[in-house]
Amino acid sequence: MELAERLRLGTAPGTGMPPAFEELFRKEYPRVVAIAHRVVADSDEAEDVAQDVFVSFYRKHPADAHYAAPWLHAAAAHAALNVLRARERRGRRDAFEALRRDAQAPDPAQAAETAETRSEVRAALARLPDRSAALLALRYSGLSYEEIAAALGLRQSSIGTLLRRAEDAFRKEVTR
Amino acid sequence: MSDIEEMLSVPEPKVDTERALARLRARVEAERIAPVTRGASAPRRIAVNIWLKGLAAAATIALVATLLTVSGVAETILTIFEPKQIVAVPITMNDLQGAPSFETYGSLTWTEQPRPYDVPDVRTAARESGMTVLIPGNLPAGLGAPRYGVMPKTTATFTFSADKTRQAAATLKRTPPPMPANIDGSKLFITGGPAVVAFYDDGTRPTETTGASPFSGMPRLIVAQGKPPVVQSDGVTVEQLQSYLLAQPGISPQLAAQIRAIKDPSSTLPVPIPVDMATSKKVTVQGVEGIFVGDSTGLGSAVIWQKDGIVYGVAGTLTEQQVLAVANSLR
Repeated sequence: MELAERLRLGTAPGTGMPPAFEELFRKEYPRVVAIAHRVVADSDEAEDVAQDVFVSFYRKHPADAHYAAPWLHAAAAHAALNVLRARERRGRRDAFEALRRDAQAPDPAQAAETAETRSEVRAALARLPDRSAALLALRYSGLSYEEIAAALGLRQSSIGTLLRRAEDAFRKEVTR
Repeated sequence: MSDIEEMLSVPEPKVDTERALARLRARVEAERIAPVTRGASAPRRIAVNIWLKGLAAAATIALVATLLTVSGVAETILTIFEPKQIVAVPITMNDLQGAPSFETYGSLTWTEQPRPYDVPDVRTAARESGMTVLIPGNLPAGLGAPRYGVMPKTTATFTFSADKTRQAAATLKRTPPPMPANIDGSKLFITGGPAVVAFYDDGTRPTETTGASPFSGMPRLIVAQGKPPVVQSDGVTVEQLQSYLLAQPGISPQLAAQIRAIKDPSSTLPVPIPVDMATSKKVTVQGVEGIFVGDSTGLGSAVIWQKDGIVYGVAGTLTEQQVLAVANSLR
């Protein structure tokens, strides 16, 4: 147990939430939201995804597990992709509305255009195989090859190749 | 920026981690979600948590109730609690379980969060805390060099809320006495710390004891020192508050009597002693009166005292003699 964690014991009045978990939450929450946001392009929805991800980690894994961060990163990508696919299934109109909320632009026409572009891009992402979509989500959220390999259970040496393939497939889907 | 990066770009989300954590806490509590625990370490951690949660809960009751025994109405910001001495307040497991937390009566807002952090050595600990850090001259054999942690000075504001009290009571299906109107919305300003803690380990795993010991899972020796908490009020009717708080469901008549019996409540820091797990007695340490706490399994000991405006504590999986020797050797 870390020194800081020991000192924190008992600083969460009213809940039995382990201090180690709160520490993990504080450290990883922004990253988990960023990954989900990259996929769903809606900050409220991204925060909802992050909450679900942390709850399922809390239920199943000890906070000091060595795999905590990679687990959270992978779960964020997969959960966000599920949300994205569900949104696509409900129809493009729904997807567009969700994105327009998040597309902040001074001019409504410009906001609509941004939302339209983002909506098309997300539709393409939703059509990609799960691993390729997750690879793109993690890489463009700023994770290193090492972190992506740990999250998706891949060899670090193969990330470059897999990423290039995923990018090619993505470009094809966008221009389809 | 690559074409893909541009396609996937989104505005930087504004993330409020503390608010998100509060949301998660509320959900975990509302849905009663239990965290997974790791095999053998679970009972130890639970024991420590119960002890510390109980300590926090009991300290809350004792502190709030204590400061309310000061008579008179505070017209302006008034220091109503500044401990100069300590006293043991025996509490039972029932007191712990029934004890309402601070959050039951209103909301606690940290103006400065209690964020402890590790520091490399005693000199840094002293510089960061602004205190002279005492070092034991006498250590039990086998203990290595300590690791230091510093908790900076923290401040919090507590605002009483009648609404929140009603909601908490409704959840528990209990009827609390109504909160007097002038208490609703009044504020307490709480300052604690800074504090420095030194952890000594002997390279072995913490002694495995039963879950009944509050000392299980702790390092061999902990030496801590800190500025005691100070509480100020923006003006409440204290007699009303005292009778209101001590009449809350969950506070046993015995505990209420113990708190009422504290002679000089505005300058006495109550130290809750879980009587089911530990025993306590008065001892002389560093030339002043302190409290010795021994756990019922005989494996752990602690001594707490206050001197020159600083509260000190020495605890560990050590005998009474060893703990007192360490405490008396602090220079």
